[in-house]
Amino acid sequence: MQLLRSSIVLRWMLAALGVVITLSICQELARPTTTDLISTGTAEATLRRAVPILLAGLGGIWAERAGVVNIGLEGMMVLGTWFGAWGALEFGPWWGLVIGVTGGALGGLLHAVATVGFGVDHIVSGVAVNILAPAMARFLSGEVFAERSGGGITQSPRVDSVGNLDLPFLSGGDLLGWGTPDLLSWFVDKNWLLISDIAAVLSGITNSLSWASLIALTLIPLSVFILWRTPFGLRIRASGEHPVAADSLGVSVYQMKFIAVVVSGALAGFGGAFIAIEQTGVYREGQVQGRGFIGLATVIFGNWQPVGALLGSLLFGFADALQLRDRTAVHALLLLVGAALVALALRALMRGKHSSAAILVCASAAVLWWYAATEEVAGELPPITPHLVTLLVLVFATSRLRMPAANGLRYRRGQE
Amino acid sequence: MKPITATEAATAAAVELFEITKRFPGVVANDRVNLRVAEGEIHAVVGENGAGKSTLMKILYGMQTADEGRMLVGGTEVRFSSPSEAIDAGIGMVHQHFMLADHLTVLENVVLGAEPTRRGMIDHRSAHRHLEELGKSYGLDLEPTDLVESLEVGERQRVEIIKVLYRGAKVLILDEPTSVLVPQEVENLFHNLRELKAKGHTIIFIDHKLEEVLAIADTITVLRQGRTVTTVSSSEVTAAELAELMVGSELPKPSTEPRESNQQKTLSLRSVTVSGDDGRPAVSSVDLDIHRGEILGVAGVEGNGQSELVEAILGLRPLAEGDLLLDGESISHWPVRRRREAGLGYVPEDRQRRGLLLDAPVWENVMLGHQTRRPYARGPWLDRSKARDAASQIITDFDVRTPGVDTTVRALSGGNQQKLVIGREMSARPQMLIAAHPTRGIDVGAQAAVWDNLRKARREGMAVLLLSADLEELIGLADRLVVMLRGRLAAELDPSTTTPRLLGSHMTGASVDGESDIK
Repeated sequence: MQLLRSSIVLRWMLAALGVVITLSICQELARPTTTDLISTGTAEATLRRAVPILLAGLGGIWAERAGVVNIGLEGMMVLGTWFGAWGALEFGPWWGLVIGVTGGALGGLLHAVATVGFGVDHIVSGVAVNILAPAMARFLSGEVFAERSGGGITQSPRVDSVGNLDLPFLSGGDLLGWGTPDLLSWFVDKNWLLISDIAAVLSGITNSLSWASLIALTLIPLSVFILWRTPFGLRIRASGEHPVAADSLGVSVYQMKFIAVVVSGALAGFGGAFIAIEQTGVYREGQVQGRGFIGLATVIFGNWQPVGALLGSLLFGFADALQLRDRTAVHALLLLVGAALVALALRALMRGKHSSAAILVCASAAVLWWYAATEEVAGELPPITPHLVTLLVLVFATSRLRMPAANGLRYRRGQE
Repeated sequence: MKPITATEAATAAAVELFEITKRFPGVVANDRVNLRVAEGEIHAVVGENGAGKSTLMKILYGMQTADEGRMLVGGTEVRFSSPSEAIDAGIGMVHQHFMLADHLTVLENVVLGAEPTRRGMIDHRSAHRHLEELGKSYGLDLEPTDLVESLEVGERQRVEIIKVLYRGAKVLILDEPTSVLVPQEVENLFHNLRELKAKGHTIIFIDHKLEEVLAIADTITVLRQGRTVTTVSSSEVTAAELAELMVGSELPKPSTEPRESNQQKTLSLRSVTVSGDDGRPAVSSVDLDIHRGEILGVAGVEGNGQSELVEAILGLRPLAEGDLLLDGESISHWPVRRRREAGLGYVPEDRQRRGLLLDAPVWENVMLGHQTRRPYARGPWLDRSKARDAASQIITDFDVRTPGVDTTVRALSGGNQQKLVIGREMSARPQMLIAAHPTRGIDVGAQAAVWDNLRKARREGMAVLLLSADLEELIGLADRLVVMLRGRLAAELDPSTTTPRLLGSHMTGASVDGESDIK
């Protein structure tokens, strides 16, 4: 118990194990209708779908920790998709990522100039970015892509991706020219209950992992380190908590907010570039599809913590991957929702909240009945599952959240 | 009592201010102020609200720059354009409203802006050690890893003091440090201040509570209307003399007029208990009657339940226990609008936030709270032309100086905003008018007008509940006075036989024969 309390890493690993076990059980119950609830393919797709949202979420955290609400993440992602595709087309995929990041950062710069420099309301400025960015992308497409073969005013010619890597030993990647054995696949093929499932998840993560995903994942610990361990990060957070206090101690609040919002835009731009270069291999109008807003939701869901945003984006990515790969799996998801509601009901009961426990039990009964009584869910449901899941989690999670105290407030030096 | 002159003061000066002048649009906050603070002393700067104390300290701390005048710190001439320059010169300030981020730890709040680093990271271990050393040597007990939001008010103040000491300040400015503290915490604070003084720090202490000032300060400088009145040694002056110096004699005095006795109860409170924001009772079983045509004054140090009481009467805060009777009818379960329609008028403490829509025109503001009634409304519709007429009427009747009814309220001066609020409330002819700090922060002329209006309300038979921090105002205007202390009614006094000093001792819970319990 002592070890459990002291080690955060251990706790996370146990939690992840719990999730895998639950999934595994649901999978067994749902067999043979679907086999995609937990598999290598689902895990791989989950990660791929989660990365852009994770990046948007990280971007949201950077801005909001400094006290600036960045509802313009969506627009900044759009800029990332266009600039990413254009850069990839002109200079190759790696430059595409860099230029996409720069494009998003430009959007962030605009938001920073408006909100920090001129004291414009954060929502107003963010909405302006969201309106401006697609218009700008369309204009630029008309100028640049329209005359190329395969391009038009709404889309670019196809672009290359930056490539994948297979981790050596775990997923049979090359090590100095020697093909290592693929251990995880071997476990998966054995079809051992639970062990094969864990192997499948790990294999999905490590197998043909995009270099860009790898970079995105390292941005999580990097953000944690910068925001919570360095003086710079403390100053950013102080600017979002109590700018007047920070100012009275000689912290340049405007500068901190400015940097944070530009970083935020850069991260969103990375997310956009990832969609264009890695996910679809093309710039297409409207391809961001509200992922910036979902990213913003993961900020709230994750309680303004990078790891929380990762969890939120994985959840969305999982629902998204399921509905893409196998519509019948969405039906099995009902089982999972029912199980989650039962868990919540137990927790409510343990805390002595009898009425909410009763409501949760009723809800879970309804969901489980729905699962048992039907063969598959209505055709309209699968595509919106990710949004629905995110919404549900937000509704249940918001009570314990704590946002930066001065988030979204206009700050003008010398006015209290 | 004799003023201290520069030649008499033998010790070196830590801070000297010469002829400091600071003007704001329409007011001179500091008018050629002189201040000399000797090294290693506790120097109090006293004066009424608006006497220019805070402005002077903000200038010394670099938050504002003086228009004229010179400043010497430790004998060298300085000119600060930001607090960080003042910090570098060894001056630190503990603000009246704490400058702490609730969600950060004590340690993070303290080191912010001056973080010790190791390999690019904040060196938590050395910061932790430094804080504990500071805490130990000054008797400032704190746990560096606690979140500030979990701390009590007194502890937060200690964080502020440590914050200043951490930056190596030799001169500490404390802006009304006792205004947020309960007496027990005040004692702790004074203990800490004496400790600091013993270690050679110089302390500048802003206050307007004379008993406290006399208990802690070595030297006292009195400001009045932006000017230095005098500097005296605390051992050679009494509270009464200080009060006289602070108030002066040329100020208009609030006074009342004879009144026919009327025992008809307008509002009755029956063992009213109200919970504060922290869930603990802020008001505990208060019984009170307010009669037709009387002004009932409520005195009390801020934070003793007065605001909560007013909010409960108005319906902004639920009653935990007890009952409210308006004209004999229970209104405890009525919503705010019904209470107002039944005849409650309210002049809020913070007129800009609670009383007015600053960016709306005068005529719209005049409708607020009466929007359901004639002449402002006809059925479900607002009657714009009648509303504008009513607004012009209020402007004339209450002498609100504004270019017209279409001017936004933000453009009016504080005094005129207040006259507008009072006019709005009184023009609806309520049975009862609640006025919370009606003259706070407004100029002398408007103050006299507000007093006139309150007297008028009384003459017209309204019951007036007056909350004020200005003791002269309370004594001068009220027919009866009650004192609130820790949520209870501590005393009921007859204003005609009460002095500010006596009232003050009731407010702080000191014994009636005058000696303060703060020693």
